[in-house]
Amino acid sequence: MRVEDVVCTFCGCLCDDLVIETDGKKIVGVENGCTLANEKFMGDHRLKSPIRREGDRWSEVSLNDAIREAAEILLDADRPLLYGWSGTHGEAQSVGVHLAEILGGVIDNTSTVCHGPSIMAIQEVGHPGCTLGQVKNRADVVLYWGANPIEAHPRHLSRYTTYADGFFVKNSFRERKLVVVDVRETESAALADEFVRIEPGGDYAVLSALRAIVRGRGEVITGPVAGVSREQLVRVADLCMKAKFGAIFFGLGLTMSPGKNKNIRNAIELTEELNRHTKFTISPMRGHWNVYGSNEVFCWITGYPYAVDFARGIAFYNPGETTSVDILRREECDACLVVASDPGAHFPRACAEHLARIPTIQIDPHVNATTHLCRLQIPVAVTGIDAEGTAYRMDGVPIRTRKLFDGDHPSDTEILERIYAIVKEAKGA
Amino acid sequence: MTFVLITGRTIVQGSYVERKSHPDYHVEASALHMNPVDMLEHDLEEGSTVLVSSDAGKVVLQARPSTLLQRGELFVCLGPYANHLVGPGTRGTGMPDFKTTAVTIEPTDDPVPGVAELMRRCGGVPYEG
Ligand code: SF4
Repeated sequence: MRVEDVVCTFCGCLCDDLVIETDGKKIVGVENGCTLANEKFMGDHRLKSPIRREGDRWSEVSLNDAIREAAEILLDADRPLLYGWSGTHGEAQSVGVHLAEILGGVIDNTSTVCHGPSIMAIQEVGHPGCTLGQVKNRADVVLYWGANPIEAHPRHLSRYTTYADGFFVKNSFRERKLVVVDVRETESAALADEFVRIEPGGDYAVLSALRAIVRGRGEVITGPVAGVSREQLVRVADLCMKAKFGAIFFGLGLTMSPGKNKNIRNAIELTEELNRHTKFTISPMRGHWNVYGSNEVFCWITGYPYAVDFARGIAFYNPGETTSVDILRREECDACLVVASDPGAHFPRACAEHLARIPTIQIDPHVNATTHLCRLQIPVAVTGIDAEGTAYRMDGVPIRTRKLFDGDHPSDTEILERIYAIVKEAKGA
Repeated sequence: MTFVLITGRTIVQGSYVERKSHPDYHVEASALHMNPVDMLEHDLEEGSTVLVSSDAGKVVLQARPSTLLQRGELFVCLGPYANHLVGPGTRGTGMPDFKTTAVTIEPTDDPVPGVAELMRRCGGVPYEG
């Protein structure tokens, strides 16, 4: 069977134009997808059944027993951490938040180690953003700052920027200027009309220098800033000010570098400054396909986008305190439920060590690094292949993902609802 | 000499995100990208094993030349190898310093550990199933 307009559940671009061929049990062909999409849809490397570890031995366990044990571990804990969520649909994320609330635990999503600092900055100074469609149709200057779309969001350039012709930008490749700012001369940088190489840790200073020039105070810059020549800074500022519509996309090169949230604040304020001259927008390059959705879902239920602590009986949020890396580093949580992410691979070693120390449960279709750290893993259906639900694209547009066929595994929502029901009964709620 | 370790995504790392036990993931995630002149100076060839150390830990990686990097910079794609070197401090932001870890390097004959072995060193029990 051939299914058109399939949504790719890999990166935050959430491309919705894939054509997938299935034989009713597995996928046999993918059209329009990038390398990452092909791997995602064609690869079939699922964990077959729930597994549990006792001491040094792994064994298979029935789904019912796994669900009961997961609920018991969470009920036994004083300070459970529920982490992940960006690789599942909104409906499952919603059950997760309710589960955290009834347990009095902490729930956090992967923004904590990607665009958490961007969210902190947006909470301080707002977000002059727009949808990707606006960029495609209008932007004649695009900046990628600390982002490498060729490797991380391979179709971003072809769907929305350099290679995408738009309503007002008829010949995009010629008419749209591309600026790439990075510490490395990445593959994306090689495509740029202007590549700005910054010394590691120099983003804040370069953003401030650009702000000064745009403000008309260029004379305060007397020499190179963080490895960027004054001439280039003036050239880039001019290019931006002369744009009819400019769009900045920033990645983890800004959020993870010294300054973190303050880098993003500075970038947003540069955008604000540019809006005195022309129309400019700024948007984060969200990584996981539904990490934006986890922020939305957490927000509409609790008021906070990530790192939400229910220990006080009400929602409390304080990045640096209620964020997963800090909670694990302080060895504070005494159980962890990992859903649709891999902190074993993506958190610093000290955090992985604590995950191994406490009972960690993982709900995930695949064997990953966290598998080796956990006590129990429940495989689930993959959203966008054998499960469906709502996701949010990197620009905040909700898109319904599709189920292509019935698989052998339950969805995240189903497993979480069953765990929730047991917890609710035990709590007498 | 102290190097700055930068981490980030690569398309190969992304392609194997659901297959972290695969040998190709192991090769990609444990590749230590270095400026070729730095490699020369440290007597390293492509594939040489290198013990990389930071304040947070040590791990053996495999050198891979990269002209995308300046001298003094190292790149390892995000994953369990890089995270053996990144410290857990977040400076009150929730976000570790993934892009600017200070590290030192020395040649070694020790082999590069697999992902399951790295997790065993963190206290886990490898699942081989
Ligand atoms: S760019 Fe992202 S969403 Fe689009 S096909 Fe590639 S991995 Fe999928």
